[in-house]
Amino acid sequence: MLPGYPYSILNSLQYFLFYLLFSVPLTLSYRTSKVLNFSHSNFIAYGMYTAIFLHGLAGNQSFLVAAIAAFLAGGSIALLNHLAVFRPLEQRRASPAFVMIASMGLWIMYNYLLYMLADVAHAFTMKNFISYGRIDYADIPDLRILDFTVDHSLLASLASATAFGTALYLLLMKTSLGRAMRAVADNPALAEISGIPREKVLRFTWFLCGGAAAVGGVLWTSFSGTITPASADAMILQVFAVSFIGGLVSLSRTILGALAISLAENVGIAALNTFFGIPTSFRPFITFVTLLTVLIVSPPLGAAGGLPYRFRRKVGGGR
Amino acid sequence: MPERGVVGLIGPNGSGKTTLFNVVTGFYTPDKGEVLYRGENGVERIHGLNPNEVFAKGIVRTFQIPRLFRSLTVLENLLVTPQGQSGENPFLSLSKRRWENQERELARRALSLLKRFGLLNYANKKVSELSAAHMKLVETIRGLMTPAKLYLLDEPAAGVEAAAAHELFRLVRELRETEGLTFFIVEHRIEILTKYVDYVYVLHNGRLLAEGKPEEVVSNPKVIEAYIG
Amino acid sequence: MIDILGFLVSWLTLLGIYSILALSLNFESGVSGVTNFGKVLFYGVGAYVAAALSTYLLLAIYGIDTSETPPYDIKGIIALGHLSTRNPLVNLGLFALTLILAFLVAGALGYLLTYPILRVGPAFVGFTLLSSGELMRIFLQHYTPLGASKGLMAIPNPFAWVPVPRLREALFLAVVLSLLALVYLVLNRLVNSPFGRALKAVRDDEIAALCLGKHVPRIKATVLFIGSGFSGVAGALLAYYLTAVNPDMFVPAVTFNVWAMIILGGLGNLKGSLVGAAVFTLLDRLLTFVTPQIGLTVVSPDYIRWFAVGLLIVVLIIARPQGLLPEEPVKTPALEEALRAAGESSG
Repeated sequence: MLPGYPYSILNSLQYFLFYLLFSVPLTLSYRTSKVLNFSHSNFIAYGMYTAIFLHGLAGNQSFLVAAIAAFLAGGSIALLNHLAVFRPLEQRRASPAFVMIASMGLWIMYNYLLYMLADVAHAFTMKNFISYGRIDYADIPDLRILDFTVDHSLLASLASATAFGTALYLLLMKTSLGRAMRAVADNPALAEISGIPREKVLRFTWFLCGGAAAVGGVLWTSFSGTITPASADAMILQVFAVSFIGGLVSLSRTILGALAISLAENVGIAALNTFFGIPTSFRPFITFVTLLTVLIVSPPLGAAGGLPYRFRRKVGGGR
Repeated sequence: MPERGVVGLIGPNGSGKTTLFNVVTGFYTPDKGEVLYRGENGVERIHGLNPNEVFAKGIVRTFQIPRLFRSLTVLENLLVTPQGQSGENPFLSLSKRRWENQERELARRALSLLKRFGLLNYANKKVSELSAAHMKLVETIRGLMTPAKLYLLDEPAAGVEAAAAHELFRLVRELRETEGLTFFIVEHRIEILTKYVDYVYVLHNGRLLAEGKPEEVVSNPKVIEAYIG
Repeated sequence: MIDILGFLVSWLTLLGIYSILALSLNFESGVSGVTNFGKVLFYGVGAYVAAALSTYLLLAIYGIDTSETPPYDIKGIIALGHLSTRNPLVNLGLFALTLILAFLVAGALGYLLTYPILRVGPAFVGFTLLSSGELMRIFLQHYTPLGASKGLMAIPNPFAWVPVPRLREALFLAVVLSLLALVYLVLNRLVNSPFGRALKAVRDDEIAALCLGKHVPRIKATVLFIGSGFSGVAGALLAYYLTAVNPDMFVPAVTFNVWAMIILGGLGNLKGSLVGAAVFTLLDRLLTFVTPQIGLTVVSPDYIRWFAVGLLIVVLIIARPQGLLPEEPVKTPALEEALRAAGESSG
């Protein structure tokens, strides 16, 4: 019998869906803008807290409302980052390391801003926003399969991930905007010459990526028992790992990565726990080992794919 | 490649010219075949060596867009090149006494090189202040700081005006005479290349299509077809 | 009454420790181009090596069975408190020994980490180093022999036997500043030599450096060995200064703090790192001192501090990425020759 069955399988599915919504936008944003955005977790966190503030301050019980609001919030943050920071840096031809550092600075700023907002909200309502409980959304239906109740979060995640996946596929493959996005990502020089408005494409892509990740955050509020401003950061290792498996450029590999990591983390850790007594909080190690294994066994192209040459350890010459 | 030869390599885009350079200089390993080089120790197989080891055998390479060290001065760019500098060892570098004489010696040699090629005034200038033509010049002459004998030049005429390109090629022929160097040059501007090389190879789709004296190759119908078709 | 002397001593000690970190990071990332986003990993390793070795050894030297009375246990802590004031030579000896070991262990870790890192691209390098720090922290939180989440306490300060507290602090400060001077001297020598020139070349264009015969992987590994080793020393000093370590002291924000320092001071300029460290530690100390006085109750002052750090990083990168002090040319005799030649040709 599989360790932890059936919960580990269900959890794997749940986390797979989360990683789709968290990591696919990350890959998409890097692919198009070539910015490795370390403040990506902020989109998720602000999505979570849009839902939380709407619930705790305004009494909102609707998932749909929360999702839309979060999408707008996350998208706006992403757009703001692009306009205020990434674009000026690109115009200055700053090195990728500097852009990374700038995104880390943004990460810290948004992080602590969120803490401050939670504190202020607390001051007004005396409710604890630093540690918030799971939200039960009224507009997610109850579904029973045989005598098994499907978790609200699982249902909502399935719906959201499917919607997002389908929309993204249609967008990228069937619309001219999507083609423009792919052109800017794959061949910026050619896109420039073909008259594609790169700046507009970038703005749209960032908005989409920030918004989608934020919706993932809303889903998290229906899943996790305790939500804090640091909840998104706690998962950032996994989110990036999944994108790295995709080499930061391949969306399909990112999806596979999401599957690999979610399985490793849930079934894998359950196995290790059962057979070796390793505590479940060692999850990040599994993630990391999985990532390293994939990168060594099947290195992806793109940013994570290695140096443009292979340095051979042993002195060569003569075969 | 004949010793002391100036040989050209041409071919349409994507024919594999730069790939060939990459294989010779150790960035790629060939799936089949070998790269043989006659250095000081006779003929050796150099495929499979790392780029820094290939350099140690005496092969210098330049790039289509010059790869100089942008934050360093022209003089410093030349000084990075020589091998066996004791000051480059992290332990020895701590004690100035162990490397300062060698450093002075190398500096004098570099300065006289710069003087010879009319670049002395740029010695202390950052490389980013040089014109494209001067950058190519520096990239080529820095090899002269070493005993390297084979120079692989990747499109030396790219990105510079015709006059400067001709200057560079004239320099190549001069260096062949005075230093006994061998040059293997990839070039797109065939009209310039043919004036200065003894022999030309033509690559097409990764295979050798033709070879011979420049006039013959340029009028070879197969070559013309490869370029137009 | 404002204790100015106390403030100065505490600021300067922290400054000394952070300066070593800043210098090492500038050496790695500013001069050599080895972007190190995992500084806190080596800092923490050094701190824990010093903490663990000194506490366990101190107990062992005095014949206490550490399997019965481990140093993280309350009885062990009390015992350590007594024992650390007994014998000056033991304290100083342990201090010196653990400092050297902290350097070696942290340095070795840095050296080893370069090899897997070389197989993957630069984006992954940053991510790996960032995560390693977090992985270490999670590991430490569960590893009981090192105190788990409570950490280790009653670390024997080398001057714990000095009866006057002020003198004790001053002596420790003297040691920290001497080590800082040593680190500065070593790194300065390395940078202003052909080795330093090769480092800058690797930073500017790794592929060209490779084509010119530089063994790039070995150079990067050496750089990380040296930088990580010194970071370990800084960590050890921190452990002795605070006489306690716990995993939550080593969070990614520490790495960013050091990055902010070297960006402010100017990448590639060692003196600039000292300036950057001074500014940040001073701001930190002042804010810690001032914010309770303002009496902000709505929002925790810690949040404002960290928000300010993040903001400063972003603003600096956009407005003045070169920092306060520019990078200087490699100062070797070659420079003198060149200047002399330039003087001759124009004269």
